Amino acid sequence: MSDLLLAEGITKSFGTNRVLRGVTLAVGRGEVVGLFGPNGSGKTTLANIVSGLVLPDRGRVLFEGKDVTRMTMDARFRTGISRTFQIPDPYPSLTVVESVRVALLCGQPARPAEQEERAGREEGLDSLLVRTGLFAQRYWPAAKLSQGCLRRLEFARAISCRPRLVLLDEVFSALSAKDEAELVALMRSLHREEGISFLLISHNPLILEELCDRVVAIEDGRVFWEGKPGDLARYVPAANHAHGHEDEMREEG
Amino acid sequence: MKKSGALPYAKITGVLAAGAGVLLLLPLAGLDAFLLNVLTLGFFVAVFAGSWDIVGGVAGQISLGHALFFGAATYACALLTSLAGWPFPLAAAAALLFSAAAGAAVGALSAPLKGPFVALLTLALGEAAHEFVLGQTFFSPRGAYSWGGEGGIPVLLRSQPLSPWTAYYAALAFLVLSTWLMLRVARSQEGLIWTALSGSELSARASGVDILKHKRRAFLVGAALAGAAGIGFAACVGRATADDFSLELSFQAATFAAVGGRGTIVGPVLAALVLHSLLQGTGIPPAGRVLLYALALLVTLRFFPGGVAGTLRERARRRRMVVQGNGEVR
Repeated sequence: MSDLLLAEGITKSFGTNRVLRGVTLAVGRGEVVGLFGPNGSGKTTLANIVSGLVLPDRGRVLFEGKDVTRMTMDARFRTGISRTFQIPDPYPSLTVVESVRVALLCGQPARPAEQEERAGREEGLDSLLVRTGLFAQRYWPAAKLSQGCLRRLEFARAISCRPRLVLLDEVFSALSAKDEAELVALMRSLHREEGISFLLISHNPLILEELCDRVVAIEDGRVFWEGKPGDLARYVPAANHAHGHEDEMREEG
Repeated sequence: MKKSGALPYAKITGVLAAGAGVLLLLPLAGLDAFLLNVLTLGFFVAVFAGSWDIVGGVAGQISLGHALFFGAATYACALLTSLAGWPFPLAAAAALLFSAAAGAAVGALSAPLKGPFVALLTLALGEAAHEFVLGQTFFSPRGAYSWGGEGGIPVLLRSQPLSPWTAYYAALAFLVLSTWLMLRVARSQEGLIWTALSGSELSARASGVDILKHKRRAFLVGAALAGAAGIGFAACVGRATADDFSLELSFQAATFAAVGGRGTIVGPVLAALVLHSLLQGTGIPPAGRVLLYALALLVTLRFFPGGVAGTLRERARRRRMVVQGNGEVR
């Protein structure tokens, strides 16, 4: 088993709406895979199935060769699959530090030398907040954070417990240029230095071209195209490409 | 380690110490036996309100059947002392375990549910228990009396009845100890996890929190504390009645928490103490009391949307944010 993650033959319907029709998706160790597709193509549903939020109707999910199809989302976080949400849903009354601390308390399997580790964790927490650019806001309640900071908080939570696979759901959309550049740099360094694999979900081909080793495009619940990010422009018809980008700008504006 | 969700420790401790000091001296100021008794029972009601706040405030599981745990303890105490002839301390310990077990059971049932469904389920369970005890009749060991229903069952202490003073100071000690314990729990790691899952179950699950397990724990702890309050209450009143299970009692706890500030522990405890003592001490008839509770709730929600302590906490935090952050309070 060389794949870190393998989602095989995933089928999912909501009522009569068949969202995924037998999708197979693999992410290798240390690989950055982009998941591309128009709105409603099933990207987020696939992410929900991989992260354990939703159970598939058929198909299975393997992580490091182990079947995790029926494992809950919190258990998957503890085994090394973490994710961010397209719309951050923070704990409004907790501060940034506390929000991340919750993940540190629950996100790793209990170890015998836990007492000794705690001091180290708190230090790790500070450097994590510095790294994600949240140190200045560490005592702010999440309810008062800007959209950019909320995305950073999502990011910090997702990487807090040394995951091996991180799912980023539209994490770069609707961000200021500065926030986007910083998060992109952070993601690159995590990938390079810690060998974390990423599954990057986006409908923005430019971001995927910039960051991914491989891109999988799904449309209408099926894998439509798979290839090098450089070839993405060939798959996405020029008109669509421009059109998609216009949409993006309208959203941001 | 900074826990910013709360008022500064020193301030809280100061306010509480001052309050406890006043309560310590109050009996010396010549309170009559009636007012002394009202305050004594008020201390137990205050702990009950705090125990609601563990479940409904800190962990965010709005329970409308919290009286179930209170009543479970008072009834267990009464049945074990009067019918089974157990000594009171043993019965009290068993009653505490019983209410904690009831909490674990209700927690297990409600853990998969969210928001209004938790309220509906606990409401239904509480009312079912209330109706059940109303309909039960028990006979005293030699069949001399029938007990149960509205009249309730006596709680036998098998000792000299406590003087009102002793009862008052014992109850006050219980209040101080329980409040300290509840604050400790709310500020512990477990309390942090409860606050998180009350804020967003989705984010909590995505942070590795087993939300079912932690919700069950919150119910267990809250129920055990409610049970402890019930045991003290029943020992002072000398009787467990079906009213201990009543919906009114559950609603009172929720009202005290809303007025005092959900999730602050101290707020609900103080609100319960003040409102209970005022309304019971002035001899307002029950119908009037309900109206006044509603009025207190309306006034607080209008002027202190987060409850009194909650609103103060929010202000303290804003001040701190200006100092620590870049001053960009939005």
